[in-house]
Amino acid sequence: MARDGESRSYRRKFCKLCFDKVERIDYKDDRRLSRFITDRGKIVPRRISGTCARHQSQITEAVKRARILALLPFTSDQYR
Amino acid sequence: MKLYETTIIYDPGLEEARINEEVDRVTQPIAQAGGEVVEVQRWGKKKLAYNIRKRRDGTYIHVKHKSPAPLIGEMDRRFRLNESVLRHLTVLAPKESPRAAEEAAKAEAAKAEGVPGAPGPVETASTAVD
Repeated sequence: MARDGESRSYRRKFCKLCFDKVERIDYKDDRRLSRFITDRGKIVPRRISGTCARHQSQITEAVKRARILALLPFTSDQYR
Repeated sequence: MKLYETTIIYDPGLEEARINEEVDRVTQPIAQAGGEVVEVQRWGKKKLAYNIRKRRDGTYIHVKHKSPAPLIGEMDRRFRLNESVLRHLTVLAPKESPRAAEEAAKAEAAKAEGVPGAPGPVETASTAVD
């Protein structure tokens, strides 16, 4: 996959949630969701995490709900 | 009637008896309005990801219930008026998707079929390596 002259080796990204055969992501499952937010509390984009479209939209909804319930931060304390 | 999930965060300063009282104040109107309380989960005192009204913790209560739609708005209004409620959220509970049931059935069938077939490919793979 790597082009000539590039020493970096690439690994194909895959959707971890499809791999785990997750049918539905729960907004109450803050431990699972915390893998899909950055240390600033932002939602990790698909191009970084490799998540499929179906799961990404589920993540987005779940993270937003979890934020309302203070299970996940809107932003991290140290940057406030 | 639809199935809802309501999560309420109460002030951590409330003692056990007050919490029970508050839970009754949520569940009773549901029963009165012809709904049904399916499940009450007490998550207990949890640390909040950020401070709400200067509180670091909150007492979480999670209620699954079937309620008539107009009651949801009324519940929301009451939570807003209630000073000891730090936060609340009501969402539609996820439906048991027909796809999930189908997949479970398929997996079951595949397991029954796959077990005798499984050693086959493994053997061919090992011969290919040799």
